[in-house]
Amino acid sequence: MADDLVVVGGGITGQAAALAAAEAGARVTLIDWGRNAGSAANAGSLHVQMQSRFLRLNPHLAENVERSLPLYRAAVAEWARLDAALGGVEMSREGGLMLAETPAQMAFLETKAARERAQGLDVDLLDRGALDRIAPYLGPGLVGAELCRDEGKINPLVANARMTTRLEALRVRRVRDRIVSVTAEQAEGTDRYPARAVLVAAAWGSGALLPMLAMPTPPEPLHMNITEAGDYRIRHLVQHAERSITLKQFRSGQVVIGGGWPAEGGADGTPAVLSRSMAANVALAGRIAPGIAGLRVIRTWAGLNTPVDGKATIGPVAPGAALHVALPGDAGYTLGPIVGRAAAAVALGLEPPVDPAPYSPERWRQ
Amino acid sequence: MTRPVRFTFDGADIAAAPGASLAAALTAAGVRGFRETETGSERGIFCGMGVCQDCLVTVDGRPGRRACMTAAAEGLDVRRQPARPPLTPPPATTLTPVLRTPQVLVLGGGAGGLTAAIAAREAGAEVLLLDERTTTGGQYFKQASGSVPPLDAQQAEGARLVSAARAAGVEMLHGAEVWGAFPGPRILAADAAHVYDVAPRALIVATGAYERPLMIPGWTEPGVMTVGAAQTLWRSYRTLPGRRVAVFGNGPLSAQVALELARGGAEIAFLGEAAPDPLRRPGATFAMLRHDPRLAAKGAAMLAALARRGVRVAHGTRPTRIARQDATLTVSWEGPRGAAEAEVDAVCLSFGFHPQNEVLRLLAAQMRFDPRFEQLRPERDETCATTVPGVWAVGDCCGLGGAPAAAVEGRIAGRAAAGGGGPTAAERRALARHRGFQDALWRLYAATTQRIEDMAPDTLICRCEEVPRSALDASLDAGCEDIGAVKRATRIGMGRCQGRYCAPALAGYLARRAGADPVDAGYFAPRVPVKPVDIATLTAAEPLLAADADADAADG
Repeated sequence: MADDLVVVGGGITGQAAALAAAEAGARVTLIDWGRNAGSAANAGSLHVQMQSRFLRLNPHLAENVERSLPLYRAAVAEWARLDAALGGVEMSREGGLMLAETPAQMAFLETKAARERAQGLDVDLLDRGALDRIAPYLGPGLVGAELCRDEGKINPLVANARMTTRLEALRVRRVRDRIVSVTAEQAEGTDRYPARAVLVAAAWGSGALLPMLAMPTPPEPLHMNITEAGDYRIRHLVQHAERSITLKQFRSGQVVIGGGWPAEGGADGTPAVLSRSMAANVALAGRIAPGIAGLRVIRTWAGLNTPVDGKATIGPVAPGAALHVALPGDAGYTLGPIVGRAAAAVALGLEPPVDPAPYSPERWRQ
Repeated sequence: MTRPVRFTFDGADIAAAPGASLAAALTAAGVRGFRETETGSERGIFCGMGVCQDCLVTVDGRPGRRACMTAAAEGLDVRRQPARPPLTPPPATTLTPVLRTPQVLVLGGGAGGLTAAIAAREAGAEVLLLDERTTTGGQYFKQASGSVPPLDAQQAEGARLVSAARAAGVEMLHGAEVWGAFPGPRILAADAAHVYDVAPRALIVATGAYERPLMIPGWTEPGVMTVGAAQTLWRSYRTLPGRRVAVFGNGPLSAQVALELARGGAEIAFLGEAAPDPLRRPGATFAMLRHDPRLAAKGAAMLAALARRGVRVAHGTRPTRIARQDATLTVSWEGPRGAAEAEVDAVCLSFGFHPQNEVLRLLAAQMRFDPRFEQLRPERDETCATTVPGVWAVGDCCGLGGAPAAAVEGRIAGRAAAGGGGPTAAERRALARHRGFQDALWRLYAATTQRIEDMAPDTLICRCEEVPRSALDASLDAGCEDIGAVKRATRIGMGRCQGRYCAPALAGYLARRAGADPVDAGYFAPRVPVKPVDIATLTAAEPLLAADADADAADG
């Protein structure tokens, strides 16, 4: 018997899509290869403000990011909804800081903040004194920061576990298979999965599954580090105006350090850690927050980001088609729930939580 | 008599013998609990060799120091460590970055590593050896700290080997711990004053083994430690783990350590051996005699010496539970004569060994699962070369083989890594004899490995994250299929020991539940750092590794 919806990709986007569909009463199968996926490598940042790293690396995509800012706000609201619905995912919304070490960086943040405010973000500029009052854990050498109150963090381990439990309760069928082709009627891997609608939420694997779209989905392997637990003091999601760093502390005390240092594509597709990324990333974190220097790094890993064009892709591959896409376009863990839910709603003919029109796959049609 | 060094523990004065580890000094002073965990439990020494990360203390404002690997020094301010240390910036430490490009790099200063280093040196290579302990010799030779004379022939033999390596011109860095291994091979290590980036032409991994624990409720209590940890306390530091000690294990080490502790003045309240009585298996005993009558006789003499002290080995006996009331441990066991218990102040537990193969796995050496010892072994050719070009592996890091075999393997690999010839006929014969002896020994001591399915629900499978069997089973019942999913669901294996104790037990458990063979993929993926690494160390390493990035860019 055909499912109402088959979701390809078991990461946070696919899970959220399956959840939304199942909550609407649909019969759903969620398929994942089980490798480098399934939201296995996420660090749980809830990004809202424009990430300086992305702007630096992709200046031509800045406009896409800027126009997506309302989606980021909706994404955090969606996480808040999930936090309540799933029974707690250790979500905190204590804001995010983007630090400046020079007047020039501060000026960059001022311009950025103005653009973000115009898109409805709750942002403020802090001088060093104001910064010290809310973030006494920061080191010397900083002149100020931008505070974005919409930002926060969640514990992805808790969130993923809660999500799994919820999907089971809703009888979503979960299958481990590597899907190699999709049509409007089915997904096919080792097995065939017939459905009335198929939704591809396969991040960097999406492009190859959807040859009718000229959608670039090369993965961006990124380095991550985690320390042993320390006293919970770093309440913000911390970034830097010019340097690659994301630093946050789980409530359980571990400090997660990332921010876009490169990793390498490994031989079997598993990304491999680079020693220089590890050293530079951690050294920078230690300079920004000297209090963490008493903690040791206990684990590193490489995750795969899929930046696409810096904008989400939500909707059918062609008008009226039963083959759909859900692709966050950078910051996948933040955007996953809202993008997944919106795409599932569109696929099932329900009212989506956000207007999907700006994110239509139209722009990729050959 | 040299003057003792003095330091404080939570403000109280402690006197220590020069060269003593903090762990030994605190044990001698009657301190058992060194830190608190997330659930408020106390922890002290467990592995005694820098692996378990349970004996952490804060030293001069710097948390996360392993008491077993840190030497007592005059005036240190040592403090009990809370579960989550404050984020107070620790005093600045500056490590000097050092880039080294030796012809041969040897990791490990035990029987295999020292012999390999000497052989490579004799074959004309420039050799650098890194040993994580400040006193080189490894776990078998277990050298005494300070200027104490050798305890017995085993220590004397180790001292001779260390001297021979020095005389051969092997450059040895003591107290240098490896934290990273990258393709190349490229080894990253650090000691108290330096961070090393070593790019050798040939690498010999001789990292040895650590003890497979006996997981029972209470195995994390202060005063409960591995047999090897108790042996280190005594042999290296002349400190007894307690006055009244119970020892449980599998294999000759537990009887040897029981005897050493008894000679040192401890009362051995009980000595339990998991394997059944060897008298019931004369075939295996005979096989062992045939392969190495000298070693077999040594074993018999050891048991006789224990018997003279009134200590008899209780065969087919395993501990079931340990409960602590202040400093008193009540250990229960079961054997052919039923269940019993005793009150002691230290319990020593072990169940064979796990190879320390993290560096090999990180370098992607091909491994195979050995179902007999339930461990991974690297594929090696007859010169002990792994499947990774330029990387050799010798001794117990390749699976249990014992010190004599490690020494022969070291000789073969050392010569080959230096560009010399393959094994001689005599080396082949020696290796066959040692391997034959080990085979017979472990047939004699054959006992079913402890299995998670036989453990009580409240047994902590993961010491670090305090995950009991019941939580593990709940995650499996909830649909977690692979080791990664279980890890993310329960935090099992996410702690400071990096899964060294839980992962092997879990790999077998998951495989049996799935009706499959455990394979390399059944273990946690190998990751850097090899051991938890200080942020100061990484900061000091940055210029070394950034220079590397520049070189890459120039090449490109």
